[in-house]
Amino acid sequence: MTDERNITCIVCPIGCKILVKTDGAQFEIVGGNKCKRGIEYARSEALDPRRMLTTSILVNDGEWPLVSVKSSKPVPEEKLFSVLKEVGGTAVKAPVKSGQTIIKNAANTGIDIVATKTVLTKEVD
Amino acid sequence: MKNFQVAIIGGGVIGSAIARELSMFKLDVAVFEMGSDVASGASKANSGVVHSGINSPTSSLKARFCVEGNKMFQSLANELDFPLQWVGKYIIAKNEEEVRDLEHLKKVGMNNNVPGLEIKNRSEVKKKEPNVSCFKALWIPTAGITLPYQFTIALAENAAENNVVFFLETKITDLKKQKNLFLIKTNKGDFQAGVVVNAAGLNCREVVSMMEEPDFQVYPCRGEYLVLDKNYSSLINSMIYPVPVKGSGVLGVHITPTIEGNILLGPSAEFIGDPYDKRTTNETMNTLFLEARGIIPSLPDKAVINAYSGIRCKLASPESGGWADYRIEESKNMPGFINLLGIESPGLTAAPAIAKEIIKMISHLIELNKKNSFKSRRHRRKRFSEMSAEEQSNLIKKDEKWGRIVCRCEHVTEAEVIEALSNPLEARVLSSVKYRCRAGMGRCQGGFCTQHIVRIMEEHFNMDVADMRLKSPNSNLFYGKTRGNQSD
Amino acid sequence: MVKPEVIKVIDYTVDVAVIGGGPAGLAAAVSAHEHGAKSVVVIDRNSWLGGILPQCIHDGFGVEETGTSMTGPEYAEMYIEMAEKQGIDIMKETMVLQFDKKREITAVNKKGLHKIKASAIVLAMGCREKTRWNVMISGDRPSGIYTAGVAQAFINLYNIMPGKNVIILGSGDVGLIMARRLKFEGANVLGVVEILPYASGLPRNVVQCLEDYDIPLFLNHTVTCIDGKERLEQVTIAQVDGEMNIISGTEKKIECDTLLLSLGLIPENELANNIGIEIDNITGGPTVNQYLETTLSGVFACGNCLQVYDTVDVLSADAENAGRSAAKNSAIQKKDKKIIAKIVPGKGIRYVVPQIISEPGKVHLTLRVEKPGESSVLHMVAGDKEILKKRLAWVNPANMIGVDVDIPHEVLTSTQNLEVILVDR
Repeated sequence: MTDERNITCIVCPIGCKILVKTDGAQFEIVGGNKCKRGIEYARSEALDPRRMLTTSILVNDGEWPLVSVKSSKPVPEEKLFSVLKEVGGTAVKAPVKSGQTIIKNAANTGIDIVATKTVLTKEVD
Repeated sequence: MKNFQVAIIGGGVIGSAIARELSMFKLDVAVFEMGSDVASGASKANSGVVHSGINSPTSSLKARFCVEGNKMFQSLANELDFPLQWVGKYIIAKNEEEVRDLEHLKKVGMNNNVPGLEIKNRSEVKKKEPNVSCFKALWIPTAGITLPYQFTIALAENAAENNVVFFLETKITDLKKQKNLFLIKTNKGDFQAGVVVNAAGLNCREVVSMMEEPDFQVYPCRGEYLVLDKNYSSLINSMIYPVPVKGSGVLGVHITPTIEGNILLGPSAEFIGDPYDKRTTNETMNTLFLEARGIIPSLPDKAVINAYSGIRCKLASPESGGWADYRIEESKNMPGFINLLGIESPGLTAAPAIAKEIIKMISHLIELNKKNSFKSRRHRRKRFSEMSAEEQSNLIKKDEKWGRIVCRCEHVTEAEVIEALSNPLEARVLSSVKYRCRAGMGRCQGGFCTQHIVRIMEEHFNMDVADMRLKSPNSNLFYGKTRGNQSD
Repeated sequence: MVKPEVIKVIDYTVDVAVIGGGPAGLAAAVSAHEHGAKSVVVIDRNSWLGGILPQCIHDGFGVEETGTSMTGPEYAEMYIEMAEKQGIDIMKETMVLQFDKKREITAVNKKGLHKIKASAIVLAMGCREKTRWNVMISGDRPSGIYTAGVAQAFINLYNIMPGKNVIILGSGDVGLIMARRLKFEGANVLGVVEILPYASGLPRNVVQCLEDYDIPLFLNHTVTCIDGKERLEQVTIAQVDGEMNIISGTEKKIECDTLLLSLGLIPENELANNIGIEIDNITGGPTVNQYLETTLSGVFACGNCLQVYDTVDVLSADAENAGRSAAKNSAIQKKDKKIIAKIVPGKGIRYVVPQIISEPGKVHLTLRVEKPGESSVLHMVAGDKEILKKRLAWVNPANMIGVDVDIPHEVLTSTQNLEVILVDR
């Protein structure tokens, strides 16, 4: 294991700098964590970093032009921009209900994109 | 090619006052303004003071037009319904020596026929202005305040209602005389005119040089201001000026109440090379604050909500003392080419009188006949926030947009924003709204209302967000839509 | 609530009127209803409920409160549903113009003017963002300068792109989150500039919003000048010393078309100010007792107009206190409470809310320290008597501290000042 790097722990607001050794498959804590909770975080961050993705999708005929969305699960970091690209090219027709799946299996990640807001159809006067 | 009898270059307070005066006659008149609205330059960025006329030497044009203009303001305000208050002015002396300056100013003022001048002692001043520290002060009852941009807008909009054509965002690129007509080339096409009035302010020399070799220089002199929160409006009741700095050609940092309740501190005076350099600087902002505190010791730190600057068009260099009189003259080589040069302070006050003078000059060139259809009155609707509950209710009953507040700080309604954007000049930038109905001028500085104004521009005026601008042709607010309508 | 058919001025009478329908207002309204207020109305100037939350589309809301991480819109919908279920009256697109000492509110909406007589009022107007002029950045006045929240609204609510090449001043959470948001929408985020030696936002946001995308964070730096006659063209940033004075010679010009300002928030209290309610100079919000009642009897305050909170979870919990107190106040018209003691922020403490104790008993304090530190002890002392001692592993001004304290009756008979101090261990 050659690669040594610092991971800022985000479990609590202290933000310990945890020094780890990793080659992407193996993992070892060198030090820096003030509590045990940081170990699990550092492991997943070193071996398989993932992020919740929150963004928005274009809505046609809605009371709002956009609906906010999130990924159903954390997305592998390297796939974030592929998912964003698919999101950017998607449009949905109002009404949209909060919790409704808008994209299934986004960018072949197996992860869905789900509405986090209800957008009703625009009232026409 | 469209032909006008009179073309006015510049939609500042001078150009607008002349346009309004000309709109009384049977004439085709055009105003060419390179900004996105009238009052885009110094006419917007000044103290908003209607001066008495004590500061200019007797028999100067500055003194003459200032005193004459001052006398015209009340009836103009009655006709055009712009805000005006005769709050009066104290020029304060800090010591015995400065009292001599007060006596001198009083003498000049009396020679200029300024009425009511009185030197008051400290206790008399304290009674009226408890927060002001001074030794003695000269009281000038005929000095007043207005909102300079609203005054200019009132003049221009009344002129437009009386058929003067305003070309905004239109810059003169060339000017020629062909036989008896002037050929005016602009970025929006070519025009012809019988008479050209150069009211281009800071750009007056540039316009002259299109026709002939100018025999003068322009020395741009920047003045910075600080604006205080309305919470501090009770600090002063009238304008508070120091004695003018000798040999500077300016009046010094003063404290001016505004009709809206914000107090202005400034202006500074700094000669600059670039006539468009309207930046504010840390040094000057600090100096302004400290100088103002010398006059009002209790001035609080956190009071400032905004800062801006305006540029004076001076014809005298700093080395020569910075004072020169106005030049208002028809070109000797080019008859019909009327130039207004070096119109700086007290230009706002002088504007109505200068306009009358220009009419006189034009009457020698073109036969002027009054038109019967002239509408001299312009009715400014009361603001929602100034109305009684009954007036508010009645308006909301007629149009529910009067019940939708879009500017939380100044309580401006959607109806008022739509009215502002429907102005006869077709000025449609964000600052056109701000200067007409005050939306965005409060302490949140547009944090809440900008999104509402944008929505109104989209819904009621079919404007594309990519075309929305803050204040000038290239001050775009946005880069289009985030999603849709564009290829990523 | 009875709605007469009047047109000129529409009159209502309610137990509790809540001004502001953001998270604090909704939590207060729901709580007031749960604690016995029969008629509750929430008045909001926007066309939606939830205040700022619908534009905060990122997640991280409600973790402490519910154990799950929600996005802003989801958190807002949770409270909106509760309010709807309870039959709380909602007045949207309604601006409160003023209220008087008898708690009669004047409000306006497209139906007309409204007079609302309330037995208790809860203030929940939220806050506004500091602007360029609160920190006096000199230079030109071009377009392209937005507060972070305004830019967030344009991108997340209105589908409008405010800029392409962006500098962000201020590393609070909104600033950090906007850095990532802009990056996601294809903008070039050139850096986040922070005057303090550390980021003001959570480490989580520093990692996930900046480090993930290699966005530079300029600590000990500030923006000193703005250039651009029409649209923003460039900003100057410079390093500052320990006293936050600009170190000359460190100026650096950065070309950009957009400057986002994340400079902090100011509680919005025009209404309270106009009626003479006392405002705490430090918090910017009304001075309150442990029931979150302001110096005007029957008027309570909560949410960001009381003090600027770090998380919505804590804000909602305090707002519930205000709602409960308002419900009780409206039920029994009790006699004026006396001010028995004042809480005084002492050494190391910036402020404490509440500022006033009017009855003995359990009190929940929220407070902020003056500077970051480790291993400290928080004390509350009344004369020579210690009534609170709490060890803290670390403290930071950016992290509000919440602590319960029992104030015994006998303490209040002997002193008028309860001092809160922070000492190193």
